[in-house]
Amino acid sequence: MTETIPFDAVMRALADPTRRAVYERIVRADEITVAELTRHSGVSQGAVSQHLKSLKTAGLVAERPEGRKVYYRVEPRGLAPLVDWMSLYGVFWRDRFDDLRALLKDIDPPEPASPKDPNP
Amino acid sequence: MTSLALQPDAQKTDTQEIVVDEVFPHAPAVVWKALTDGALIGRWLMPPTDFAAVEGHRFTFKTTPAGEWDGTIQCQVLEVVEAQRFAYAWRGGHEANVGYGSRLETVVTWTLSPSEGGTRVRLVHSGFVLPRNDSAYRNMSDGWTKVVQKLDTVLGEDGR
Repeated sequence: MTETIPFDAVMRALADPTRRAVYERIVRADEITVAELTRHSGVSQGAVSQHLKSLKTAGLVAERPEGRKVYYRVEPRGLAPLVDWMSLYGVFWRDRFDDLRALLKDIDPPEPASPKDPNP
Repeated sequence: MTSLALQPDAQKTDTQEIVVDEVFPHAPAVVWKALTDGALIGRWLMPPTDFAAVEGHRFTFKTTPAGEWDGTIQCQVLEVVEAQRFAYAWRGGHEANVGYGSRLETVVTWTLSPSEGGTRVRLVHSGFVLPRNDSAYRNMSDGWTKVVQKLDTVLGEDGR
C-alpha cells in the first residue's frame, strides 16, 4: 500500500535550490549514484546524501542497492501532487491551450500552400 | 501569444481568477466544437463522463485523489451561447485538504470572439478563494513553471 505523500512535503523538498538541482540531475540521468551526483556538484557527499534522504522521504526518488553501491532514480509518481495541484491554477490551462491548438490543427488543417509558392 | 494572469476576481475581492487569452487560426464554429464535444474535450482536456453542452447538465472529470477527496471534479453547465460563450461550474476537493485537493468552488468560462485570422479564445477560471489556496500564488514563479514542465514529461513517460 502506498501512503499518499502530502503536497506540502513535495513542495518543501523542491523549495531548496541545491536539492532541486540534485533532483534535476537525477531526472536527466537514468540511474545515478551518490558519488556521481557529488562530482562537479560543489557540495560534499554528506550534503548530497542528506538531500537524497529528503527527496526520498518526499517520494520523489527511489533507490536500488546493488553490491556496495546504491543507485537513485526518479520516482515518476512523486511529482503527481505538485503537477496536479498546479493543474488547478494556471500552468494546467496554458498547457491545455497548447493541446487545444494541436487538436484544432488536426481537425481543421490549414490550407495547403499554393503550388506557385517559390519557398519550399 | 499566451497571456496568463492571476488577478483579483472582478466580482469578489476575496477570490482570484486565472485568465488565458489566445487567438487560434480557426473559425469560431470549429473552436466551439472542440470546446463542447465530449470526445474532442477528451483529446485536449480530460475525458469527461456524461458530458452534454446543455444548460443545467452535470458531468464529471476524474483526476488524482487527495486525502478525503476522491479526485472527482463535479461540473455543471451554466451557460451555453452557440459559438460565443460556454461556462461550467468546476467543483472538487475537500475541506480537510490544504494546497492540492483543497475545497474548490470555481467557474470555468470560455468566451469566443471572431478575430483577424481566426478566433480569440478567452478562458476565465474564477473563484479561487484566498487564503485557502494562498500557497498557489506565493509559489507561482517561473522557476516552478519550468520544473513542472520538465517533470510533466517524466510523468507522461510513466503513463505508457
